[in-house]
Amino acid sequence: MALTLVIGNKNYSSWSFRPWIAMTTAGIAFTEELIPLYEPGSKERILAHSPAGKVPVLIDGDMRVWESLAILEHLAERFPAAQLWPADPVARAHARAIAAEMHAGFVALRRHCPMSFWRPAKPRELTAEAAADVVRIDAMWSECRARFGGGGPFLFGRFSAADAMYAPIVQRLQAYAIEVGAASRAYIEAMTVLPAWQQWRAAALKESWVLPHCEVDWPEVTRAA
Amino acid sequence: MALTLVFGNKNYSSWSFRPWIAMTTAGIPFTEELIPLFGPGSRERILAHSPAGKVPILLDGEARVWESLAILEHLAERFPAAGLWPSDPKARAHARAVAAEMHAGFVPLRNHCPMNFWRPVMRRDLPADVAANVERIDAMWSDCRARFGRDGPFLFGRFSAADAMYAPVVSRFHTYDVDVSSAARAYMDAMMALPAWAQWKAAALKEEWVLAEDEPDWPTVHRVPEATGAAPQ
Repeated sequence: MALTLVIGNKNYSSWSFRPWIAMTTAGIAFTEELIPLYEPGSKERILAHSPAGKVPVLIDGDMRVWESLAILEHLAERFPAAQLWPADPVARAHARAIAAEMHAGFVALRRHCPMSFWRPAKPRELTAEAAADVVRIDAMWSECRARFGGGGPFLFGRFSAADAMYAPIVQRLQAYAIEVGAASRAYIEAMTVLPAWQQWRAAALKESWVLPHCEVDWPEVTRAA
Repeated sequence: MALTLVFGNKNYSSWSFRPWIAMTTAGIPFTEELIPLFGPGSRERILAHSPAGKVPILLDGEARVWESLAILEHLAERFPAAGLWPSDPKARAHARAVAAEMHAGFVPLRNHCPMNFWRPVMRRDLPADVAANVERIDAMWSDCRARFGRDGPFLFGRFSAADAMYAPVVSRFHTYDVDVSSAARAYMDAMMALPAWAQWKAAALKEEWVLAEDEPDWPTVHRVPEATGAAPQ
């Protein structure tokens, strides 16, 4: 049964980016249905797929799975060969913990630095809360790389669901030119050269829907050439 | 290898309640380590177990798992016989979605109606964003009960990790006398009749650590009579 992933704007929808980059990188085939957010009729189109009223939504046969983390768990179970979680039990437990920490947390950083692919990299002064989020994420990434990253350039070596959960943070750290340690910088580099990253970004740059509440320089909208 | 669950005050720590009620109801043995929150040294004691600085934390041999949802996924995988997720794939996908929706959401409800077992049942006015949370949760619970709840009184029939995730919301709805549908009320009654529920509540009522930010009637602290009578040593 073919899969369909319902997503929002590629420039802005950080939650949508997570399952999309995971499925694309893991080679799980799917059809994309993009619903531009906050347009007339957007809410109704999303509600037709899920009563939670949020993107992303994965349509898998007669199943409707919403929430990025639940979609990733569902895919990990449905496509074991894709190895979306690390094979080692201790690494897997750690990966699930940081994925869940992302799912519920870092609200200050997310609010202050919305994901935006077309914004040229430019520093933004961080609030104390957003700066504390960055410190925690930098420490977490460095620890993952040191303890579990032997087999590759990602948090647990090979690309995993944990990387998918943090992909929007990687983008934010880049877009707002936020300083992090050397291990985190190398990790950001590995994520942004993924073919799936490039593909999503290219599509994001072509979008024309502008959301003022996601543009930190509003009413100015700075777009990369 | 024995498991240890590190958690916060039973009266207030809603995140701690989730894995505790799941493990206790599923019969997974563990040792308790309770760290009273916001006390002198609390933060350091938590950080010694997990760099995220939050409870609950499951210590499982070499593995340290934090975040209630991650702990539940870890336990479901480690103890398949406990049946923490529904066995039907479609029900399981739905259960994971509602569990994740809880993990990241319903912030207005959580802020406005802190979990508080010793507060007597008293109605509280709900702002619009909180009322919207209640409406969504009621619709979700009713949908789960109607579609997946045939084999028992819980969201997916048998007790599951999804029930554990919503246990603190059940407590909030009860404490703040929130109006819900009859399906939601029947579900709440089933949850509150669990032996594990009674056990956690009894321990919560004996605690004496008061946290001002979790007392909605502050500076008044309302406690049910049994609790006032039970002098903690």
